Amino acid sequence: DSPIQYERLGADVAMKCGSMDWDAAVTWTVNGTDIDESHLNGSYLILKNVHLSQSGQYSCYEGSSWHLKYQTYLRVGTPPKEPVLMCRSNNYPKGFYCSWHLPTPTYIPNSFNISVIHGTKDMVCEKDAIPKNRCHIRYLQLFSTVKYKVTLTVTNALGKNFTTLTFDEFAIVKPDPPESVVAKPVPNNPRRLEVSWQNPSSWPDPESFPLKFFLRYRPLILDQWQHVELSDGTSHTITDAYAGKEYIIQVAAKDNDIGTWSDWSVAVHATPWTEEPKHLTTEAQITETTSASTSSFMAPPTTKICDKGAVVGSGAMAVCWTAGLVVAAYSVLFI
Amino acid sequence: MAAADSPSAALRRDLCSRGIRLAGKMRADVVDLLEAYVEQQGLDASASVAAVEGVPLAAVERWDEQTGTQRLLENLAAYRAFRALLAQMLEEQREQLGEADAGLGRALAAVLLQVSAFAYHLEELLRLESRGIPGEEEDGPPPPPRLSLFEQKLRGLGVLRELAQWAVRSVRDLRQLAKPGPATGAAPSPAENP
Repeated sequence: DSPIQYERLGADVAMKCGSMDWDAAVTWTVNGTDIDESHLNGSYLILKNVHLSQSGQYSCYEGSSWHLKYQTYLRVGTPPKEPVLMCRSNNYPKGFYCSWHLPTPTYIPNSFNISVIHGTKDMVCEKDAIPKNRCHIRYLQLFSTVKYKVTLTVTNALGKNFTTLTFDEFAIVKPDPPESVVAKPVPNNPRRLEVSWQNPSSWPDPESFPLKFFLRYRPLILDQWQHVELSDGTSHTITDAYAGKEYIIQVAAKDNDIGTWSDWSVAVHATPWTEEPKHLTTEAQITETTSASTSSFMAPPTTKICDKGAVVGSGAMAVCWTAGLVVAAYSVLFI
Repeated sequence: MAAADSPSAALRRDLCSRGIRLAGKMRADVVDLLEAYVEQQGLDASASVAAVEGVPLAAVERWDEQTGTQRLLENLAAYRAFRALLAQMLEEQREQLGEADAGLGRALAAVLLQVSAFAYHLEELLRLESRGIPGEEEDGPPPPPRLSLFEQKLRGLGVLRELAQWAVRSVRDLRQLAKPGPATGAAPSPAENP
Protein backbone atom coordinates (compact mmCIF):
# COMPACT_ATOMS: atom_id res chain seq x y z
CA ASP A 1 0.00 0.00 0.00
CA SER A 2 1.30 3.42 -0.95
CA PRO A 3 1.71 5.96 1.80
CA ILE A 4 -0.88 8.74 1.77
CA GLN A 5 0.15 12.33 1.33
CA TYR A 6 -2.37 14.98 2.36
CA GLU A 7 -2.15 18.44 0.85
CA ARG A 8 -4.30 21.55 1.22
CA LEU A 9 -6.55 22.62 -1.59
CA GLY A 10 -4.77 25.38 -3.51
CA ALA A 11 -1.30 24.55 -2.18
CA ASP A 12 1.82 24.07 -4.31
CA VAL A 13 3.18 20.53 -4.03
CA ALA A 14 6.64 19.25 -4.89
CA MET A 15 7.10 15.47 -4.99
CA LYS A 16 10.55 13.93 -4.79
CA CYS A 17 11.17 10.72 -6.61
CA GLY A 18 12.38 8.77 -3.62
CA SER A 19 16.18 8.86 -3.39
CA MET A 20 16.73 9.82 -7.04
CA ASP A 21 19.00 12.79 -7.73
CA TRP A 22 17.52 16.01 -8.98
CA ASP A 23 18.96 15.51 -12.46
CA ALA A 24 17.92 11.85 -12.80
CA ALA A 25 15.76 10.92 -15.75
CA VAL A 26 12.39 9.85 -14.42
CA THR A 27 8.83 9.43 -15.55
CA TRP A 28 5.89 10.33 -13.35
CA THR A 29 2.44 8.89 -13.74
CA VAL A 30 -0.88 9.60 -12.08
CA ASN A 31 -3.31 6.71 -11.85
CA GLY A 32 -1.27 4.95 -14.54
CA THR A 33 -1.23 7.87 -17.01
CA ASP A 34 2.04 9.60 -17.90
CA ILE A 35 2.43 13.15 -16.64
CA ASP A 36 3.74 15.70 -19.11
CA GLU A 37 7.35 16.78 -18.59
CA SER A 38 6.25 20.41 -18.27
CA HIS A 39 5.23 19.58 -14.69
CA LEU A 40 8.74 18.43 -13.81
CA ASN A 41 11.54 20.39 -12.25
CA GLY A 42 14.42 17.97 -12.71
CA SER A 43 13.13 14.75 -11.21
CA TYR A 44 10.67 16.59 -8.95
CA LEU A 45 7.03 16.67 -9.83
CA ILE A 46 5.58 20.15 -9.29
CA LEU A 47 1.85 20.61 -8.86
CA LYS A 48 0.80 24.22 -8.45
CA ASN A 49 -2.47 25.26 -6.82
CA VAL A 50 -3.63 21.67 -6.39
CA HIS A 51 -7.29 20.95 -6.83
CA LEU A 52 -9.49 18.07 -5.77
CA SER A 53 -9.34 16.32 -9.13
CA GLN A 54 -5.61 15.95 -8.72
CA SER A 55 -6.06 13.43 -5.93
CA GLY A 56 -4.78 10.04 -7.02
CA GLN A 57 -1.90 7.62 -7.08
CA TYR A 58 1.38 9.17 -8.18
CA SER A 59 4.25 6.94 -9.25
CA CYS A 60 7.80 7.73 -10.24
CA TYR A 61 9.84 5.41 -12.52
CA GLU A 62 13.52 5.47 -13.31
CA GLY A 63 14.01 6.64 -16.89
CA SER A 64 15.32 3.66 -18.80
CA SER A 65 14.71 0.73 -16.47
CA TRP A 66 11.16 1.68 -15.51
CA HIS A 67 11.90 0.58 -12.01
CA LEU A 68 9.36 1.99 -9.61
CA LYS A 69 11.23 4.37 -7.37
CA TYR A 70 8.50 6.09 -5.46
CA GLN A 71 4.76 5.90 -5.04
CA THR A 72 2.28 7.89 -3.02
CA TYR A 73 -1.41 8.48 -2.83
CA LEU A 74 -2.14 12.20 -2.93
CA ARG A 75 -5.30 13.33 -1.15
CA VAL A 76 -6.23 16.97 -1.64
CA GLY A 77 -8.48 18.41 1.04
CA THR A 78 -8.99 21.16 3.61
CA PRO A 79 -8.55 21.47 7.35
CA PRO A 80 -11.87 21.26 9.22
CA LYS A 81 -13.99 24.34 9.82
CA GLU A 82 -15.72 24.78 13.17
CA PRO A 83 -18.11 21.82 13.49
CA VAL A 84 -21.84 22.24 14.08
CA LEU A 85 -22.91 20.54 17.31
CA MET A 86 -26.40 19.92 18.65
CA CYS A 87 -27.52 18.21 21.86
CA ARG A 88 -31.06 17.21 22.66
CA SER A 89 -33.07 15.07 25.02
CA ASN A 90 -35.94 13.37 23.21
CA ASN A 91 -36.20 10.62 25.81
CA TYR A 92 -36.26 12.58 29.08
CA PRO A 93 -35.52 11.64 31.82
CA LYS A 94 -33.34 8.81 30.49
CA GLY A 95 -30.62 10.88 28.87
CA PHE A 96 -29.66 13.00 25.89
CA TYR A 97 -27.76 12.71 22.64
CA CYS A 98 -25.40 14.97 20.76
CA SER A 99 -24.94 14.98 17.02
CA TRP A 100 -22.62 16.92 14.80
CA HIS A 101 -21.53 17.63 11.27
CA LEU A 102 -19.07 19.78 9.39
CA PRO A 103 -20.48 22.85 7.62
CA THR A 104 -18.34 22.11 4.55
CA PRO A 105 -16.67 18.85 3.49
CA THR A 106 -12.91 18.42 3.92
CA TYR A 107 -12.63 15.68 1.27
CA ILE A 108 -10.25 13.74 3.52
CA PRO A 109 -10.92 11.53 6.54
CA ASN A 110 -11.82 13.27 9.82
CA SER A 111 -11.91 11.98 13.36
CA PHE A 112 -14.19 13.37 16.07
CA ASN A 113 -13.68 13.42 19.78
CA ILE A 114 -16.40 14.51 22.18
CA SER A 115 -16.07 15.33 25.85
CA VAL A 116 -18.92 15.95 28.27
CA ILE A 117 -18.43 17.55 31.66
CA HIS A 118 -21.11 18.02 34.29
CA GLY A 119 -19.69 20.31 36.95
CA THR A 120 -16.37 18.67 37.67
CA LYS A 121 -17.44 15.23 36.56
CA ASP A 122 -16.37 13.74 33.20
CA MET A 123 -19.10 11.78 31.52
CA VAL A 124 -18.83 9.20 28.76
CA CYS A 125 -20.79 9.84 25.58
CA GLU A 126 -21.29 6.46 23.96
CA LYS A 127 -21.01 6.61 20.21
CA ASP A 128 -23.90 5.28 18.19
CA ALA A 129 -23.14 2.76 15.46
CA ILE A 130 -25.67 4.48 13.21
CA PRO A 131 -25.50 7.31 12.59
CA LYS A 132 -21.77 7.67 13.09
CA ASN A 133 -21.83 11.33 14.03
CA ARG A 134 -23.86 10.86 17.18
CA CYS A 135 -23.39 9.76 20.78
CA HIS A 136 -25.67 9.42 23.77
CA ILE A 137 -25.41 9.91 27.52
CA ARG A 138 -27.50 8.58 30.36
CA TYR A 139 -28.44 11.10 33.03
CA LEU A 140 -26.80 10.21 36.32
CA GLN A 141 -28.61 13.03 38.10
CA LEU A 142 -31.91 14.76 37.52
CA PHE A 143 -33.04 18.28 38.44
CA SER A 144 -29.50 19.61 38.61
CA THR A 145 -28.81 23.34 38.21
CA VAL A 146 -25.23 22.56 37.21
CA LYS A 147 -24.72 23.02 33.49
CA TYR A 148 -23.37 20.46 31.04
CA LYS A 149 -20.41 21.42 28.88
CA VAL A 150 -19.91 19.48 25.65
CA THR A 151 -16.79 19.99 23.55
CA LEU A 152 -16.43 18.46 20.11
CA THR A 153 -13.00 18.39 18.45
CA VAL A 154 -12.58 17.41 14.83
CA THR A 155 -9.14 16.51 13.52
CA ASN A 156 -7.74 15.58 10.14
CA ALA A 157 -4.29 15.43 8.59
CA LEU A 158 -4.42 19.13 7.72
CA GLY A 159 -5.62 20.62 11.01
CA LYS A 160 -8.17 20.64 13.79
CA ASN A 161 -11.08 22.67 15.05
CA PHE A 162 -13.58 22.51 17.89
CA THR A 163 -16.80 23.88 19.28
CA THR A 164 -18.35 23.95 22.75
CA LEU A 165 -21.95 23.87 23.90
CA THR A 166 -23.06 24.70 27.44
CA PHE A 167 -26.62 24.01 28.57
CA ASP A 168 -28.70 22.96 31.52
CA GLU A 169 -30.75 19.81 31.82
CA PHE A 170 -34.14 21.35 31.08
CA ALA A 171 -33.18 23.50 28.12
CA ILE A 172 -32.43 20.66 25.70
CA VAL A 173 -35.58 18.63 26.32
CA LYS A 174 -37.41 18.40 22.99
CA PRO A 175 -39.61 15.40 22.26
CA ASP A 176 -39.94 13.80 18.84
CA PRO A 177 -43.14 14.73 16.97
CA PRO A 178 -46.37 12.88 17.79
CA GLU A 179 -46.92 9.68 15.81
CA SER A 180 -49.78 8.05 13.98
CA VAL A 181 -51.72 11.26 13.43
CA VAL A 182 -55.13 10.42 12.00
CA ALA A 183 -57.87 12.83 10.91
CA LYS A 184 -61.35 11.63 10.04
CA PRO A 185 -64.62 13.29 9.06
CA VAL A 186 -67.50 13.04 11.51
CA PRO A 187 -70.61 11.53 9.90
CA ASN A 188 -73.46 14.01 9.46
CA ASN A 189 -71.26 16.89 10.66
CA PRO A 190 -70.06 18.99 7.74
CA ARG A 191 -67.87 21.24 9.91
CA ARG A 192 -66.11 18.69 12.09
CA LEU A 193 -62.94 16.67 11.86
CA GLU A 194 -61.77 14.22 14.52
CA VAL A 195 -58.02 14.19 15.01
CA SER A 196 -56.11 11.66 17.09
CA TRP A 197 -52.42 10.89 17.59
CA GLN A 198 -50.02 8.99 19.81
CA ASN A 199 -47.15 10.01 22.05
CA PRO A 200 -43.78 9.67 20.30
CA SER A 201 -42.48 6.16 20.92
CA SER A 202 -39.11 7.55 22.00
CA TRP A 203 -40.70 9.29 25.04
CA PRO A 204 -40.17 6.66 27.74
CA ASP A 205 -42.67 7.54 30.47
CA PRO A 206 -45.59 9.73 29.38
CA GLU A 207 -47.48 8.91 32.57
CA SER A 208 -44.89 10.44 34.86
CA PHE A 209 -43.69 12.98 32.30
CA PRO A 210 -46.84 13.89 30.41
CA LEU A 211 -46.72 15.77 27.15
CA LYS A 212 -48.89 18.62 26.03
CA PHE A 213 -49.76 19.18 22.39
CA PHE A 214 -50.20 21.90 19.83
CA LEU A 215 -52.45 21.24 16.88
CA ARG A 216 -52.51 23.37 13.74
CA TYR A 217 -54.87 23.08 10.81
CA ARG A 218 -55.92 25.01 7.72
CA PRO A 219 -57.84 24.38 4.53
CA LEU A 220 -55.53 23.82 1.57
CA ILE A 221 -56.97 26.90 -0.11
CA LEU A 222 -55.85 29.24 2.69
CA ASP A 223 -52.39 30.09 4.05
CA GLN A 224 -53.32 30.96 7.62
CA TRP A 225 -53.20 28.25 10.28
CA GLN A 226 -55.57 27.84 13.19
CA HIS A 227 -53.88 26.73 16.42
CA VAL A 228 -55.12 24.83 19.45
CA GLU A 229 -53.07 24.01 22.55
CA LEU A 230 -54.12 20.88 24.43
CA SER A 231 -52.86 20.16 27.92
CA ASP A 232 -53.95 16.54 28.02
CA GLY A 233 -55.36 13.80 25.87
CA THR A 234 -54.28 12.65 22.45
CA SER A 235 -57.33 13.63 20.44
CA HIS A 236 -59.27 16.73 19.47
CA THR A 237 -62.34 17.53 17.42
CA ILE A 238 -62.12 20.49 15.06
CA THR A 239 -65.58 22.09 15.00
CA ASP A 240 -65.09 25.09 12.71
CA ALA A 241 -63.92 23.47 9.51
CA TYR A 242 -65.19 24.85 6.21
CA ALA A 243 -67.66 22.38 4.79
CA GLY A 244 -66.38 20.38 1.86
CA LYS A 245 -62.83 21.76 1.98
CA GLU A 246 -59.76 19.59 2.26
CA TYR A 247 -57.70 20.29 5.36
CA ILE A 248 -54.07 19.83 6.29
CA ILE A 249 -53.41 19.05 9.96
CA GLN A 250 -50.26 18.72 12.07
CA VAL A 251 -49.47 18.17 15.74
CA ALA A 252 -46.44 19.05 17.92
CA ALA A 253 -45.56 17.94 21.45
CA LYS A 254 -43.77 19.38 24.48
CA ASP A 255 -43.07 18.17 27.99
CA ASN A 256 -45.73 19.65 30.24
CA ASP A 257 -43.21 21.50 32.39
CA ILE A 258 -39.84 21.97 30.67
CA GLY A 259 -38.04 22.23 27.35
CA THR A 260 -39.22 23.19 23.88
CA TRP A 261 -41.79 22.12 21.31
CA SER A 262 -41.09 19.23 19.00
CA ASP A 263 -41.01 19.64 15.25
CA TRP A 264 -44.40 19.33 13.55
CA SER A 265 -45.66 15.84 12.86
CA VAL A 266 -46.12 14.46 9.39
CA ALA A 267 -49.08 16.32 7.85
CA VAL A 268 -52.38 14.52 7.35
CA HIS A 269 -55.20 15.53 5.06
CA ALA A 270 -58.91 15.19 5.63
CA THR A 271 -62.15 16.63 4.30
CA PRO A 272 -65.24 17.07 6.51
CA TRP A 273 -68.30 14.94 5.80
CA THR A 274 -70.54 16.18 3.02
CA GLU A 275 -74.03 15.09 2.04
CA GLU A 276 -74.22 12.75 -0.98
CA PRO A 277 -75.52 14.67 -4.06
CA LYS A 278 -79.01 13.45 -5.22
CA HIS A 279 -79.40 11.99 -8.80
CA LEU A 280 -80.65 14.51 -11.43
CA THR A 281 -83.94 13.31 -13.03
CA THR A 282 -86.19 16.41 -13.37
CA GLU A 283 -85.63 20.10 -14.00
CA ALA A 284 -86.98 20.86 -10.54
CA GLN A 285 -84.40 18.52 -9.05
CA ILE A 286 -81.65 20.19 -11.11
CA THR A 287 -82.65 23.58 -9.69
CA GLU A 288 -82.74 22.11 -6.17
CA THR A 289 -79.27 20.55 -6.61
CA THR A 290 -77.79 23.81 -7.90
CA SER A 291 -79.10 25.68 -4.85
CA ALA A 292 -77.71 22.96 -2.54
CA SER A 293 -74.21 23.00 -4.11
CA THR A 294 -73.84 26.77 -3.91
CA SER A 295 -74.63 26.66 -0.20
CA SER A 296 -71.97 23.98 0.53
CA PHE A 297 -69.21 26.57 0.78
CA MET A 298 -69.89 28.85 3.68
CA ALA A 299 -67.78 31.99 3.67
CA PRO A 300 -66.15 32.59 7.04
CA PRO A 301 -67.68 35.38 9.11
CA THR A 302 -64.72 37.70 8.45
CA THR A 303 -65.38 37.66 4.72
CA LYS A 304 -69.08 38.51 4.99
CA ILE A 305 -69.91 41.10 2.38
CA CYS A 306 -73.29 42.37 3.53
CA ASP A 307 -76.09 41.61 5.98
CA LYS A 308 -79.33 40.08 4.90
CA GLY A 309 -81.18 43.27 5.94
CA ALA A 310 -79.17 45.33 3.48
CA VAL A 311 -80.39 43.37 0.45
CA VAL A 312 -82.62 44.96 -2.18
CA GLY A 313 -84.35 43.23 -5.07
CA SER A 314 -85.08 39.52 -5.13
CA GLY A 315 -84.07 36.20 -6.71
CA ALA A 316 -81.15 36.36 -9.16
CA MET A 317 -81.13 40.19 -9.09
CA ALA A 318 -80.85 40.49 -5.36
CA VAL A 319 -77.99 42.81 -4.46
CA CYS A 320 -76.98 44.43 -1.19
CA TRP A 321 -76.74 48.15 -0.60
CA THR A 322 -72.97 48.19 -0.57
CA ALA A 323 -72.62 46.34 -3.86
CA GLY A 324 -75.35 48.50 -5.33
CA LEU A 325 -73.49 51.70 -4.43
CA VAL A 326 -70.27 50.39 -6.00
CA VAL A 327 -72.09 49.46 -9.21
CA ALA A 328 -73.78 52.86 -9.29
CA ALA A 329 -70.45 54.64 -8.83
CA TYR A 330 -68.88 52.78 -11.73
CA SER A 331 -71.91 53.42 -13.88
CA VAL A 332 -71.61 57.18 -13.29
CA LEU A 333 -67.92 57.02 -14.17
CA PHE A 334 -68.53 55.46 -17.56
CA ILE A 335 -71.56 57.52 -18.69
CA MET B 1 -56.26 -3.32 42.42
CA ALA B 2 -58.78 -2.89 45.24
CA ALA B 3 -56.36 -0.38 46.79
CA ALA B 4 -56.74 1.86 43.73
CA ASP B 5 -60.45 2.37 44.53
CA SER B 6 -60.11 2.84 48.27
CA PRO B 7 -61.03 6.21 49.80
CA SER B 8 -57.44 6.77 50.94
CA ALA B 9 -56.14 6.09 47.43
CA ALA B 10 -58.67 8.55 46.01
CA LEU B 11 -57.72 11.12 48.66
CA ARG B 12 -54.03 10.59 47.91
CA ARG B 13 -54.65 11.16 44.21
CA ASP B 14 -56.64 14.28 45.03
CA LEU B 15 -53.95 15.65 47.34
CA CYS B 16 -51.30 14.85 44.74
CA SER B 17 -53.29 16.63 42.01
CA ARG B 18 -53.69 19.71 44.19
CA GLY B 19 -50.05 19.55 45.13
CA ILE B 20 -49.10 19.39 41.45
CA ARG B 21 -51.13 22.50 40.76
CA LEU B 22 -49.59 24.28 43.76
CA ALA B 23 -46.10 23.35 42.67
CA GLY B 24 -46.81 24.39 39.08
CA LYS B 25 -48.05 27.82 40.16
CA MET B 26 -45.15 28.16 42.58
CA ARG B 27 -42.66 27.39 39.84
CA ALA B 28 -44.16 29.98 37.48
CA ASP B 29 -43.98 32.62 40.24
CA VAL B 30 -40.42 31.66 41.19
CA VAL B 31 -39.31 31.95 37.56
CA ASP B 32 -40.84 35.46 37.36
CA LEU B 33 -39.27 36.37 40.71
CA LEU B 34 -35.89 35.07 39.54
CA GLU B 35 -36.04 37.30 36.48
CA ALA B 36 -36.95 40.35 38.56
CA TYR B 37 -34.33 39.51 41.19
CA VAL B 38 -31.52 39.22 38.63
CA GLU B 39 -32.46 42.51 37.05
CA GLN B 40 -32.94 44.50 40.21
CA GLN B 41 -29.88 43.12 41.94
CA GLY B 42 -27.73 43.85 38.89
CA LEU B 43 -26.65 40.23 38.48
CA ASP B 44 -25.70 38.25 35.37
CA ALA B 45 -28.46 35.72 34.73
CA SER B 46 -25.95 33.19 33.39
CA ALA B 47 -23.57 33.51 36.35
CA SER B 48 -22.62 30.20 37.91
CA VAL B 49 -23.27 30.10 41.60
CA ALA B 50 -21.42 27.55 43.70
CA ALA B 51 -23.56 25.39 45.94
CA VAL B 52 -24.46 27.48 48.95
CA GLU B 53 -24.42 25.97 52.40
CA GLY B 54 -27.90 25.36 53.69
CA VAL B 55 -29.61 25.50 50.28
CA PRO B 56 -31.15 22.10 49.54
CA LEU B 57 -30.06 20.82 46.14
CA ALA B 58 -32.77 19.45 43.89
CA ALA B 59 -30.27 17.27 42.03
CA VAL B 60 -30.78 13.59 42.81
CA GLU B 61 -29.33 10.32 41.57
CA ARG B 62 -31.55 7.31 40.85
CA TRP B 63 -34.65 9.46 41.17
CA ASP B 64 -36.82 6.76 39.63
CA GLU B 65 -35.83 4.30 42.36
CA GLN B 66 -36.99 6.46 45.26
CA THR B 67 -39.89 5.28 47.40
CA GLY B 68 -42.90 7.49 47.98
CA THR B 69 -41.85 8.13 51.57
CA GLN B 70 -38.38 9.20 50.50
CA ARG B 71 -39.89 11.62 48.03
CA LEU B 72 -42.21 13.17 50.58
CA LEU B 73 -39.55 13.45 53.28
CA GLU B 74 -36.96 14.97 50.97
CA ASN B 75 -39.49 17.43 49.60
CA LEU B 76 -40.62 18.42 53.08
CA ALA B 77 -37.07 18.95 54.32
CA ALA B 78 -36.32 21.07 51.27
CA TYR B 79 -39.35 23.34 51.52
CA ARG B 80 -38.85 23.85 55.25
CA ALA B 81 -35.31 24.97 54.48
CA PHE B 82 -36.56 27.26 51.70
CA ARG B 83 -39.10 28.75 54.07
CA ALA B 84 -36.29 29.83 56.39
CA LEU B 85 -34.03 30.98 53.54
CA LEU B 86 -36.74 33.08 51.91
CA ALA B 87 -37.67 34.63 55.24
CA GLN B 88 -34.02 35.58 55.68
CA MET B 89 -33.87 37.00 52.14
CA LEU B 90 -36.97 39.05 52.82
CA GLU B 91 -35.48 40.49 55.98
CA GLU B 92 -32.22 41.35 54.23
CA GLN B 93 -34.17 42.92 51.38
CA ARG B 94 -36.08 45.16 53.78
CA GLU B 95 -32.89 46.13 55.63
CA GLN B 96 -31.04 47.01 52.46
CA LEU B 97 -33.67 48.74 50.44
CA GLY B 98 -36.50 49.65 52.79
CA GLU B 99 -39.38 50.80 50.66
CA ALA B 100 -37.25 51.38 47.57
CA ASP B 101 -37.95 47.94 46.17
CA ALA B 102 -41.36 47.07 47.55
CA GLY B 103 -42.29 45.12 44.41
CA LEU B 104 -39.49 42.62 44.86
CA GLY B 105 -40.30 42.35 48.56
CA ARG B 106 -43.94 41.62 47.78
CA ALA B 107 -42.99 38.98 45.22
CA LEU B 108 -40.62 37.35 47.72
CA ALA B 109 -43.34 37.35 50.35
CA ALA B 110 -45.83 35.78 47.94
CA VAL B 111 -43.41 32.97 47.08
CA LEU B 112 -42.64 32.47 50.77
CA LEU B 113 -46.35 32.03 51.38
CA GLN B 114 -46.59 29.43 48.62
CA VAL B 115 -43.57 27.58 49.96
CA SER B 116 -45.17 27.46 53.41
CA ALA B 117 -48.44 26.24 51.96
CA PHE B 118 -46.69 23.56 49.97
CA ALA B 119 -44.76 22.38 53.03
CA TYR B 120 -48.05 22.07 54.87
CA HIS B 121 -49.52 20.17 51.92
CA LEU B 122 -46.63 17.71 52.06
CA GLU B 123 -47.27 17.21 55.78
CA GLU B 124 -50.89 16.35 54.92
CA LEU B 125 -49.68 13.75 52.45
CA LEU B 126 -47.34 12.26 55.02
CA ARG B 127 -50.18 12.10 57.56
CA LEU B 128 -52.31 10.32 54.97
CA GLU B 129 -49.59 7.73 54.55
CA SER B 130 -49.57 7.35 58.35
CA ARG B 131 -45.97 8.42 58.36
CA GLY B 132 -44.67 10.43 61.24
CA ILE B 133 -43.91 13.98 60.34
CA PRO B 134 -40.33 14.83 61.28
CA GLY B 135 -40.26 17.65 63.76
CA GLU B 136 -38.60 20.87 62.85
CA GLU B 137 -35.44 21.63 64.75
CA GLU B 138 -36.40 23.97 67.60
CA ASP B 139 -33.20 25.93 67.50
CA GLY B 140 -32.65 25.59 63.79
CA PRO B 141 -29.22 25.56 62.22
CA PRO B 142 -26.67 27.97 63.63
CA PRO B 143 -26.98 31.44 62.06
CA PRO B 144 -24.71 31.73 59.03
CA PRO B 145 -21.82 34.17 59.13
CA ARG B 146 -22.73 37.69 58.08
CA LEU B 147 -22.29 37.97 54.33
CA SER B 148 -21.33 40.98 52.29
CA LEU B 149 -24.06 42.57 50.20
CA PHE B 150 -22.73 40.94 47.03
CA GLU B 151 -22.52 37.55 48.71
CA GLN B 152 -26.12 37.97 49.88
CA LYS B 153 -27.23 38.68 46.33
CA LEU B 154 -25.41 35.62 44.98
CA ARG B 155 -26.86 33.45 47.69
CA GLY B 156 -30.30 34.76 46.87
CA LEU B 157 -29.74 33.82 43.22
CA GLY B 158 -28.72 30.32 44.29
CA VAL B 159 -31.76 29.98 46.55
CA LEU B 160 -34.22 30.97 43.84
CA ARG B 161 -32.59 28.80 41.20
CA GLU B 162 -32.71 25.71 43.40
CA LEU B 163 -36.27 26.50 44.42
CA ALA B 164 -37.28 26.62 40.75
CA GLN B 165 -35.68 23.21 40.21
CA TRP B 166 -37.37 21.82 43.31
CA ALA B 167 -40.74 23.00 42.04
CA VAL B 168 -40.27 20.95 38.88
CA ARG B 169 -39.00 17.97 40.86
CA SER B 170 -41.97 18.18 43.23
CA VAL B 171 -44.40 18.00 40.32
CA ARG B 172 -42.64 14.87 39.10
CA ASP B 173 -42.50 13.37 42.60
CA LEU B 174 -46.21 13.94 43.16
CA ARG B 175 -47.05 12.36 39.81
CA GLN B 176 -45.11 9.28 40.86
CA LEU B 177 -46.96 9.28 44.16
CA ALA B 178 -50.32 9.60 42.43
CA LYS B 179 -49.75 6.44 40.42
CA PRO B 180 -51.83 3.51 41.61
CA GLY B 181 -49.92 0.75 43.34
CA PRO B 182 -48.07 0.29 46.61
CA ALA B 183 -48.21 3.86 47.87
CA THR B 184 -45.17 4.93 49.76
CA GLY B 185 -43.71 1.52 50.49
CA ALA B 186 -40.69 -0.15 48.94
CA ALA B 187 -39.50 0.91 45.52
CA PRO B 188 -40.72 -1.41 42.74
CA SER B 189 -38.29 -4.25 42.13
CA PRO B 190 -36.66 -4.42 38.69
CA ALA B 191 -38.79 -7.49 37.88
CA GLU B 192 -41.95 -5.41 38.28
CA ASN B 193 -40.79 -2.75 35.87
CA PRO B 194 -41.97 -3.16 32.27
